[in-house]
Order: sequence, then structure tokens, then C-alpha cells
Amino acid sequence: MINSIRLIFALSWRNLWRNKRRTLIILFAIILGVWAMIVTAAFMRGMVFQMLEDTVDNLAGHVQIHHPQYLDDPVIDNSFNPQSAAVSKLLQDPRIALSSTRIRLAAVIVSERESSGITMLGIDPAQESKVSFIGRSVVEGRFLDSTSDNGIVIGKALADKLQTRLGKRIVLMSQDINNEIADRGFRIVGIFDAPLDPTEKSFIFIAKDNAEKMLGLKNKASEIVLRLHNTDMVNSLVNDYAQFDKNIDVMSWLKAEPYLEMMIELMDSSMFIWYLIVFLAMAFGIINTLLMAVFERTREFGLFQALGQKPGFILFQVWLEAVLMIIVGLVIGNILSWLSVLATGDGIDVSVFARGMEMLNMSNIIPFVITFDDLIVANLTVAILGMLTGLYPAWRASRLVPAHAITRI
Amino acid sequence: MKHVVKCENITKIFEQGLIKVNALTDVNISVEAGEFICLSGPSGSGKSTLLNMIGGLDTPTSGEVYIDGDEIDTLNRSQLADMRLHKIGFVFQAYNLIPVLSAQENVEMVMQMQGIDKHTRHQRSSAILKEVGLEGLEDRKPPELSGGQQQRVAVARAIVSQPSLILADEPTANLDSNSASNLIDLMLHINKQHNTTFIISTHDPMIMQRARKLVKLHDGQITDIISQNNHV
Amino acid sequence: MRHLVIQIFSFLLLFHLAVSSQAETAAQLIRQAMDNYRGLSSYSEASMTIHRPDWERVMSMKVWTQGLDKSLVRITAPIKDKNGGSLLIGDNMWSYAPKINRVIKIPSSMSNQSWMGSDFSNNDIARADEIINNYTHTLLETKKINNRLTYIIQSVPNEDAPVVWGKEIITINDHYVLLKHEFYDQDNILIKTLTASEIKKVGDKYISLKQRMQKTDHANEWTEVVTTVVKFNVTFNKNTFTLSNLRNPR
Repeated sequence: MINSIRLIFALSWRNLWRNKRRTLIILFAIILGVWAMIVTAAFMRGMVFQMLEDTVDNLAGHVQIHHPQYLDDPVIDNSFNPQSAAVSKLLQDPRIALSSTRIRLAAVIVSERESSGITMLGIDPAQESKVSFIGRSVVEGRFLDSTSDNGIVIGKALADKLQTRLGKRIVLMSQDINNEIADRGFRIVGIFDAPLDPTEKSFIFIAKDNAEKMLGLKNKASEIVLRLHNTDMVNSLVNDYAQFDKNIDVMSWLKAEPYLEMMIELMDSSMFIWYLIVFLAMAFGIINTLLMAVFERTREFGLFQALGQKPGFILFQVWLEAVLMIIVGLVIGNILSWLSVLATGDGIDVSVFARGMEMLNMSNIIPFVITFDDLIVANLTVAILGMLTGLYPAWRASRLVPAHAITRI
Repeated sequence: MKHVVKCENITKIFEQGLIKVNALTDVNISVEAGEFICLSGPSGSGKSTLLNMIGGLDTPTSGEVYIDGDEIDTLNRSQLADMRLHKIGFVFQAYNLIPVLSAQENVEMVMQMQGIDKHTRHQRSSAILKEVGLEGLEDRKPPELSGGQQQRVAVARAIVSQPSLILADEPTANLDSNSASNLIDLMLHINKQHNTTFIISTHDPMIMQRARKLVKLHDGQITDIISQNNHV
Repeated sequence: MRHLVIQIFSFLLLFHLAVSSQAETAAQLIRQAMDNYRGLSSYSEASMTIHRPDWERVMSMKVWTQGLDKSLVRITAPIKDKNGGSLLIGDNMWSYAPKINRVIKIPSSMSNQSWMGSDFSNNDIARADEIINNYTHTLLETKKINNRLTYIIQSVPNEDAPVVWGKEIITINDHYVLLKHEFYDQDNILIKTLTASEIKKVGDKYISLKQRMQKTDHANEWTEVVTTVVKFNVTFNKNTFTLSNLRNPR
């Protein structure tokens, strides 16, 4: 038995290299397929990863605390006391690395020439600069320096839209606690740059004290965002505080960005469809090659049977050719994918497509992210389906009637 | 005496579309151990078909074939393969060898399938290859051997596991007369040396002359069985 | 619309001007101008022409005002806008569109949008008294124009004032009639100008019957308001300045 298997291995391996060109072509197809699967997965993963990173960085944090109604209706009435006993206790959880308390409301910013609807963030600069991108994104002027700083920091794209610039005054308008118009002038002390235009256009930062004064708020916040020590802690923390206090709602950033959750699911399923397409192309190659090989070697299979090889061994022999081809293809394909991902370093610059990417809410640099799961899925898809595919030609070979096979010239 | 091969009323009908061809009609033949039989007849007389039936490479439309007393009709594909592996050696007209294996590997292949250990395999295959006069050519692949050398390898492979029966289908058809003569010498030598039964289908007069029994076939029927005692 | 539509535009802008210790004279002038209308009630009829390079629209309206913080404007023509209008009480502004039969409160997000499609923004119309403290006024020049003493005042918004302009230059005569109001951006570029003409005495008050708002960049785009009827010291029904009156005119 072991002898036979050894023999079959030798036969399969040598037969594989009998028609080098054909085998190399199909091997190339497998390698390309595996490479395409893994690299595409890495790219898509990277895209999602980058979107997630951007989102977390883009003010979402890992966990958000709101008034229970704030998400449905982000108005001034739906704010909560950030210094309540419950919140203070929550903030002492050891899993929390950083937090930022914000007043976050819709507002209108007006310059001499234009106006624009935006989201105003009344923040504590010391907290906020650690939690979100803003602390390292001010490219002109400075970030706010205290909770009573009289300046405003706006995005570059917004400054362009409003036809204003650093050092100019703008007027911010919103609704105060009594639903009256609240407005106030601010001087632009900083301009920030974000990877995405929409970020630059939608958010402005003012000091918390000024926001409170302008809106007539005292000891109220719209949200607290938390950064945890580790992303994996998000769900456990959220679960622990789910029913914690009826005045606040604690949730994962993913819930706050439902489109992201959808996007991730969409990517997962589209990735699988992509795998199938790549695999189908590959499978046709494998079947075709093996059927041709079987056809060419019909006499040989007859001979094998005449010499006493059982149909099962013939099946195994041909199938093994497919398996060996797939294994070699997988190994090389994986190595190549790994090398190409290494070669791209931080990621690939897609700024050529900047417009499209911004529409998709993505950055210009997309890192390749290879996850263990994707590797497994890609490799298993090729291996299992490929091996199943190889069974057909192998079965055909084993069913040949020896007398007919031998007499065929 | 025990019959190595016994065929009873074998009929084989090939259907080619709507046309039915009687390749064999009611053939009866018994072969005893150590015989050297030549099946002769013109092309299409049914000698190859008969050989295939005996080797279990094809099944008769009716009638029974017994090998060493076992009715092969009752065996499945796997059991048939086993029977061929252990009891029958084949030599075909051409393309006898596995092209990706060397001469020695071709010879060892059958033993490998039988599960004989590497050392014994090597010893036996070397000895046999020497016996058939291919010493020094053991590592050559089939395309690097001449037609005669290839047929010798085929014979070596057929006899190496010492089967009781060797079936040869036109073994000399593609050989020059010198190689053919050498091959016949070799087969006769083995027949004598190992008491191996040979059934050879051929229309090579050289073989017919030297066979101890000549079975003539015509239109799928045995027309004549001639015993001759004409070899050395 | 602080006053008659006419005054609306001039007055409300005047009211932006406020007391400042640094510029006593200028501030006093403005305070006096405001006092001139404080406690005054009025009824007027006017037409507003919105001019664009390829079209022009004329609307007729009636305006009621009470003091500085209550006014009601009702459109009387064209037919499709008839009975529509705006109500202003203090800082708050409501609009009524008969077509959708709905009163909406103008939110802060719309305060910079155009009022009735004109070159006036809701903001221009609805500025509130509290802005009084938002400027520093300086008397730049006093001169005689058409035999009247005329003051040219520069008003610079304070740091945190909800005013986007870099400065405003106001020309006012000794009858407290606003003749010209120029709006400059923070680079001292003139953005738009309000000009008043056809000064007339009504009762013991002087008013201008014609005002035009002109954007500097677009010579072909302007809005002109012409007052045809003005009455001062009128008495109003109690519910004149109410939402139900805005919705259901009597």
C-alpha cells in the first residue's frame, strides 16, 4: 500500500512535468488566481481597515456615550450631564485609555460671502487633541489652547468654500437651549487638513466654555467618546454598561456608523463572490488541462490496468496531479502575495482616483491588510474546490475499459 | 492436469452503431501450465479480442473464462486488477512502457504494486534486466531505448513477478526481424526456465513456426489447433 | 422688517449701531436715530422689485410695525404669493406660505438665506436689538449734503459680534434718515450697498421712500423697495402680531 502510494506520487509528479508548458500555464493561472484573491482581499480589507481607522480617528472613538435620544435627534435638548455620578464611575473603567467630552450640534457658519451647514464641536482641546485626528491636523495657525479659547478651528475645504482664511472672523449660528437663535463671531485661529474633504467641510472646533456660553448650556455634553486600550475590548465594555444608567446610552462606534457595518458585510460577501469568479476561471483551466492529459494518456491508463493497477489508484494518480498542481500553485501564490504586500509598504497611493475615493469616504493611502481569516478562506477555497474539480478528470480516467484504452492509438 | 486458462463458449459481439460484429463466436480453449501457444489468424480474426478476454481486459458477451480455476466474470474491476497483478503478465505490440519511468522503474512498478520491499525489488529487477540483455540501460527512459529494447523491458516487467501466465499481443509487430528473433528466443527461454505459460497472438510466421501449439482463428472461430514439436 | 418695509431695511440696519463710549458722538447719533422710532407704530404699503440679468419680479406688500421689535409683512401681489408673509417678534422670525398652508419658524440655518428671493437675507431683516453692543462706532466725517447736515459713521463689529462684515459705513442725515449703508468684508472690499432716496416728510418724521440694495460684484442684480403709502401712530388690533394672524389674515 505504502509502496503503491509512493509509486503514485512519483508518477503524478513526473507526469505533471511531462508537458511542461501546459502545466506551467495552468500553474501560472492558479498562482495568479491565488495572488489575485489574496491581494484583492488585502486591498479590500485595507480599505475597510482604513475606513474604520479614519472613522475612529474621525471623531467616532471606540465607544460613545450619548443621551439616549441623541442619535435619533442630535439636538441641544438631548444632552446629558457629563459629571453625573454614573458617568464619572464609567470613566474610571480601567479599559478606557482616553476620553473627550463634547458639545456636538448642528450649526451654520457664515462668512461675508458664503454660509454652510456644519457640525460644531465644543471641546476641551487638551482631551480632544489626543482622541481624534484634530490634534495633529492643524496645518495653518494653531489648535485651540484652552477651554476658553476665543478662536475657531475650521477645515481647509470649508475655508475655501467660505472664501475666508486664517485670521478672519466668521459667525457661527445655532439654536440655544431655549430654541432661540444663538450666534457669535469667532476668529479663525487654525485651519485643519483631513484626508477627506467631507471631514474638512463638516466639522468646526471651538472651545467648550464658549460653546456653553453661546448656547446657554451648563454642565451638559452631547457626547463623550472613549478610546480604549484595545479594540477588542469594545464589545465587552459596551455590554458591561448597556443598562448602566437610564440617562446615558453607551455604544460601540460601529453602531454609530451603521453604513460602515453594512460596508463591512458588503465587502465580505463581495469578496466571496470575487473568490468564486477567480476560482471558476481557475477550475476551468484545471479541468481542461487534466482532461486533455487524461485523453492523451488513455493508452497508459489501459496499460496501468492491464498491469494490475486498481481503478481507485488510477483515480488517485490523476487526482494527485491536480492536488500537486494546486499545492505548488498555492505555495507560490501565497509567497508572491506576501511579497507584493511587503513591497507596497505603507499601502498604495490611490490619490489618482482621489475624487472617487472621497466619494466613498476613503483616504488616499490604502494599506494592504492580510488577515489570517482571509488567507484561510482564499487558500481553502482554492484547495477544496480545486481538489473537488480534479476529481472529475480523475474519475474519467479510472472508468476507462482497459481493452478499449489500450487499443486506442 | 490443472488448466491455467479455460474458455467456455466465449462469444463477443461489438456493437458499432446499428451494426453488430461477432468478434468471437463460441470459442472453447484450454491452456495448461507451461504451454507456449500461438494464436494466429488474419487481422480481425478475433485473436486480440480473445487475448483481452483471457486477461480480463474486456468481458465476453456470453461464455465463461476461468483463470487458475476462478471464473473471472464474478470478479469486480478491483479484483480483476488484483488478479492481473499477481497472475498475469502483459506484453503489447507497442507503447508498453510508462514513459515517465526508467527501464528499471518500469520493471519494478509491478513489484511495487505488489508491495515487495525496495531491496528485493532492486535485486530482482537488476537480475531480470540482465537476463533480457539490458544490463547498463537500467536508468534509461523509454524514449531513449530502441523498439526491441523496449519490448525486452516489457517482457522483463511481465515476468519479473513470476506470473503463471504471460499474454503477448503481437509483441514482434513493430520490430525488425533480428530483434523479433531475439525476443522470441527470450520468451522461449523464459518459458523453459520458469515454466511460465505464454499465449501469444501474432501473424509473425517466425513465432508460429516456433510455438509448441498453434491455434488458428478465422472470423472469430477456432479453425485449427496444431501441436508441433519443432523447437530446440 | 422693523418698520415700514422702507424703514425696515434702513432702520433695522440702523439698530445694529449701538452705544459706545469711545465714539460718543457717533453713538449718540445712532441712539437718537433709534429713539426717533422707539414706540412708534406704522402702517405702509410698498412694492419690492427684484432685478436679475434675465428676469425681474415685482411684489406688493403691506407692512405693520410696532416699535422696534414687532413687525408683520403681508404680500398682496402677485396672486401666487398673495397672503404669504413674515412675522417678526424680537429675534424670532416666522414665515407663512399659503401654498403649503404652513407657518415655519426661520431656523438659524436659514438666517443667511434670501428673504423672499430678494437681495436681503433673513438676517438683514431680522437682526435684533441685542446686537446693539456689537459695534464700535466712529464719526468719520460731518458734511452738508443737499443743505442738510450729514454724518458718515464707521461701525466696526466687536471681536465676538455675530457679524461677518469687516466694517460698515453708514451715512445718516440730521433727520435721522439713513442715506447709505455700505458693507465691507474683512479685507475692506465693498460687498454691497444700500442706498436710500426720495426723502419725504410724513407727519413729523422724515423717511426715504426708495431703497436699493446693490451687490458690488453684480451690477445687474439688485432689489429696490418703493413705499407708496405710509401712516404713523396707527392703532392695531391686539392680535396683529400673532402667528394666527400671520396664517389667517383678517
